[in-house]
Amino acid sequence: MRLRTKILSGFLILILMLFAAGSWSIYEMTQMGSSVQRLLDENYKSINAARMMMEAIERQDSAVLLIISGNDKQGKPILASGDELFLKGLDTAKTNITLDGEQACVETIEESYGSFKNFWTEFIINANNNKDLKWYYQTLHQAFLDTKLSVNKLMTLNDQAMYRTASKLQKRSYRVIMPGIVAIVSSVIFTLIFSYFINYYMVAPIIKITNGVKDFITTRNYMDISVETNDELSHLASAVKELCAISGAVQKT
Amino acid sequence: MRPHIILRYIGLVLLFNAIFLFVSSLISALNSDSSLFPLLYSAVISALFGTFPLIFVPPTKTISNKEGFIIVLSSWLLSCLVGCIPYILWGGEFSFTNAWFESVSGFTTTGSTILTDIEALPKGLLFWRSSTHWIGGIGIIIFVLSVLPSIGSARMTLYRSEMSSLAMNNFHYRTHKTIQILAIIYVGLTFLETLSLLLCGMNLFDAITHSFATIATGGFSPKNLSIAFYKNLSAEIVIMIFMILSGIHFGLLFVTISGNFNDIRKSSIVMYYLLALLIGTALTAVSLHGNQFESWTDSLRYSAFQIISVGTSTGFATADSSVWPMFAKVLMIFFTLQCACAGSTSGGIKVDRIVIFWKSVKRKLIRLQYPNAVVPVKVDKAAVSDETVEMCLVYIIMYLAVTAVSTLVLTALGTDGLTAFSGTAATLGNVGPGFGAVGSISNYSSIPEFGKWIFTANMLLGRLEIFVLIMFFMPRSWR
Repeated sequence: MRLRTKILSGFLILILMLFAAGSWSIYEMTQMGSSVQRLLDENYKSINAARMMMEAIERQDSAVLLIISGNDKQGKPILASGDELFLKGLDTAKTNITLDGEQACVETIEESYGSFKNFWTEFIINANNNKDLKWYYQTLHQAFLDTKLSVNKLMTLNDQAMYRTASKLQKRSYRVIMPGIVAIVSSVIFTLIFSYFINYYMVAPIIKITNGVKDFITTRNYMDISVETNDELSHLASAVKELCAISGAVQKT
Repeated sequence: MRPHIILRYIGLVLLFNAIFLFVSSLISALNSDSSLFPLLYSAVISALFGTFPLIFVPPTKTISNKEGFIIVLSSWLLSCLVGCIPYILWGGEFSFTNAWFESVSGFTTTGSTILTDIEALPKGLLFWRSSTHWIGGIGIIIFVLSVLPSIGSARMTLYRSEMSSLAMNNFHYRTHKTIQILAIIYVGLTFLETLSLLLCGMNLFDAITHSFATIATGGFSPKNLSIAFYKNLSAEIVIMIFMILSGIHFGLLFVTISGNFNDIRKSSIVMYYLLALLIGTALTAVSLHGNQFESWTDSLRYSAFQIISVGTSTGFATADSSVWPMFAKVLMIFFTLQCACAGSTSGGIKVDRIVIFWKSVKRKLIRLQYPNAVVPVKVDKAAVSDETVEMCLVYIIMYLAVTAVSTLVLTALGTDGLTAFSGTAATLGNVGPGFGAVGSISNYSSIPEFGKWIFTANMLLGRLEIFVLIMFFMPRSWR
């Protein structure tokens, strides 16, 4: 094999090693990026919607209590805005079903909120009602707790999924780093081996040939230089040997 | 010594590893699992490192003994190092220490694991894990040499360092043929066992990985419960047969397969090996009956499997032997120390040395009665030289000394006595499972980090027959 090919192969291997590590790292980085996006798209949106619903239902509960205590004017707008906010959150949750069991969870929320809403709608429509705290605790409060519990379930479901995705992200980040570390260590070892080969198979024979020629100049006696490989250097060694032989013969004549 | 020649041969070993890494990555790709890139990248690194010296270093037909020695040792260590790269890259339970432990355990055919959930590993990585057994079993060097264009003396020199000196003494074939014989038997047995396990109802992947582990007397199983997972008597019988076969001298197996049954029948070593397994099974069955199992059939079934498994240094399990009576445990520890025949892929002190030991004890007793008597130690009617007898005794003493020191250090690290001693015996003998925290159904994950390094050192010491590894760290012996 020619010297140029040998040197080139060394560099090519080094490039290939780093290229493979780089490509893998880029792939893992891309995967990590899409995982982060998924984390935001799928889970965070649902958690936000659940929070919105939680806030809305608590507001509605307070509004009902205000109405019971005779503050109709203050309570009714809060109740209406709470309902609007809840429906908005529910709508977001419905359009963002990405996990196993999330559909069922949303359906439960819708159902329990429906019965909760029925109670207070009736309460508001019958303005001359005589609903008191006893009525509240016996009927509405339980419906409120059921709705809150189902919203909480949705939040927990997405929280757990978020944790799992975050753990996967941690693993991914490990996988982004490791090829780099392995590539650095491998490249260092490879470079050492490469430089050893360069020194042994290229530099050392050149020094030998040079010393042989120098010896010939002073002693007119050319030592046979053996080059292990079959490349340009072995050709050079035999050419120098021939030259010395011819030169020695010319001098003798 | 010529480092470039050493690098060329180590490169060939790495290329051999790269082939298996590529196959593993192919399996990973077929299963679309998460180990594809770790395996592929490791294969590329291994192949590049393996190819490079071939470009620069011209082939040679002569290798000195010292060079051969360094090639064998370096190949083992580097294979272990390359073998742990896919584990490190994959992550999961694999820290560097854990990956090194799993890789050394694979290549030395020990079969101890740090994994708490083996089944969580992707198929590609599980295949690589079993492949390390298969590569290590036959001795990486022999494999690579069988495909090398180099001939004659180069093969012979490497072979000497790879095989147990005892195996060399009774291996009657010429060296170039020996490599062919080993390869044929090894591949043949693996193929036969895979086929038999398939017929027993195991799926192809499990059949191959278990065959790799059995023929190499390794013990890695892709299942957390090892062979106990299958609850399949016919598969257990097949594995038992192949474990016993893998514990016999491969040369003798070849002669027997060739149709000459006399050698194996007349071999006192093989007879002792089989008889010991038989007596061990019977005694264990007696101790288990009425204690662990109600029926004699179950007692025999489980005791036979466990005794053969440790007695051949394989380490598969069909029952949790750590809850067995102390008598059964002591018997199993004896087999963990003894293991099978030289010239096989098993570890431990080896039956050959035990036989020579008992014969030299007998000789000593005769000499006490007749001080002037000339009593040679004979194995199969052939006199064993005094030097061989002395080496056997020194080896046994060294083996027990290493066991004692390792146990002591492990107990100092806080490991309990039974775990430390049985773990040491199991790793030094390349058996795999011990008792206590490292029992047949558990793993080595609870061992302290430094303890894991001691165990891996034990595995390498055991696989390389102690003296070879010690000499590697004494540069004066290289000259």
